[in-house]
Amino acid sequence: MKWGMVIDLKRCIGCYGCQLSCKAENGTPPGVYYARVLKAEEGQYPTVRNLFLPVLCNHCEDPPCVSACPTGASFKWEEDGIVDINHDLCVGCRSCMMACPYTNRYFNDQASHYHPQSATPYEAARTASHQTNVVMKCNFCRDRVRGGKPPACVANCPTVARVFGDLDDPTSDVSRLIKERGGFTLHPEVGTGPSVYYLPA
Amino acid sequence: MTEISAKYEQLIQDLRRDFRPQREWGEGRGVFLVIGHFLVGIAAGAWLFGLIFNYVPGLVAGFLLAGGGGIAHLAFLGRPERFWKMVRHVRTAWISRGFVGLTLFLVGAMLYLPPLVLTSLPWTADSAVGYLGWGMAAVGMVVLIVYMGFVYTASKGIPFWSSPLHPVLYMAYALRGGIAALLVTMALFGSPSAGASSLITIWIVVTAAVIVLFALEIQGALTSGNPAARRSVREMLTGRIAVYFYGGTLLIGLVVPLALLSGHIAPLGVGVLAAIGLFSALGDFFMKYTTIRAGIYLPLRPSQIRYR
Repeated sequence: MKWGMVIDLKRCIGCYGCQLSCKAENGTPPGVYYARVLKAEEGQYPTVRNLFLPVLCNHCEDPPCVSACPTGASFKWEEDGIVDINHDLCVGCRSCMMACPYTNRYFNDQASHYHPQSATPYEAARTASHQTNVVMKCNFCRDRVRGGKPPACVANCPTVARVFGDLDDPTSDVSRLIKERGGFTLHPEVGTGPSVYYLPA
Repeated sequence: MTEISAKYEQLIQDLRRDFRPQREWGEGRGVFLVIGHFLVGIAAGAWLFGLIFNYVPGLVAGFLLAGGGGIAHLAFLGRPERFWKMVRHVRTAWISRGFVGLTLFLVGAMLYLPPLVLTSLPWTADSAVGYLGWGMAAVGMVVLIVYMGFVYTASKGIPFWSSPLHPVLYMAYALRGGIAALLVTMALFGSPSAGASSLITIWIVVTAAVIVLFALEIQGALTSGNPAARRSVREMLTGRIAVYFYGGTLLIGLVVPLALLSGHIAPLGVGVLAAIGLFSALGDFFMKYTTIRAGIYLPLRPSQIRYR
């Protein structure tokens, strides 16, 4: 089994629902974004259009972050291909951040929260297991996935632009969409074999 | 604005850019990594030339610099108390290899050096323990000279560093730094038997090699077709880091030592040679600093999206 995600750029409306639901699910502090949406404008008035590119960890087949990590804190689950971090092993050298061609890793150097006075009870509960001075990243909401639920960003996408499934199963929705709609990955020239595919807009 | 919110605002600004600069290595506590790499590189070079010229003060300088480099590395880590865990991934991670190399070097030097300096020890440099120390330090030295460049080359997210020339350039820095350390040590402890002239000749040759390698790396980045690599060069030559490059790397690290070497400023003596070594080492520091600070992440841009 190899979990993967397909993001349909034709359906994405740039609402940031994925980014917000990810923050709510994982309680990531300010400055840490497991899921992001990049936006840009193209063209000139009156033929202008907005471009959206949702990005997250690509859970690569051959992840350079894993081979660059000196402690083995960054690792890949053999059974499902998810690239994860064991925060108890991370020394905070940030070599994985330099190795990641998709810049989807963040260094959480200080405990911080979104409310000026103190963490809300919700934040406190969500961040209880977080460590400071370590690198953080998306793990496809592995706990949810193991419980039979899709990742938070997939479950909360209002336009169903995100599809999650088994890339090893040729009959899965993700495999079918990639084949039928010409799914592509970011920076294929780097040769990391991402598990996040995009469908052309 | 608090430190946290300032850093947050900086990150938000960076994330909006097409070309996002890396700030983790080289800014804030990241400076300690540059210092660590700088000191460890010089240390390995000083040890190498200390062995070649049979110059004990050079070996002592190498040992002390390596110790300082190790401390700087610890100061950089987010979780320094877990440093020993870096031994776990020697098979794939160059940082692990560097950690093992530094450990071997320091332990080996602690076995080999004391009998050369002190007389009332239970072992000598010619004993089995001394030879063991010599061997461990020699292996560690080689690893330290080699590993740093590969740490950067393995950084696939920063195209400017991913050059195959980077490891060679860092090896040349280590040699140049080692000579610089010996030139400074000479002023304090006297000249090695082979004399200063040999060292100066080697310094000129290695400096010429560094210039050629650096020029090739810049040329390679400009012609690689990678916009992030080109942007890194632009940052270094005309952007936010240019002042460090022109002032530190070129002026302090090259122009001043060459001017001193010409003998027009002052007659060549031990003091002037030490100054050449000092300025040369400072220039190497700025070279590493600018190269690291010039790192730009491979861009992720909506404009790269394919359309139908």
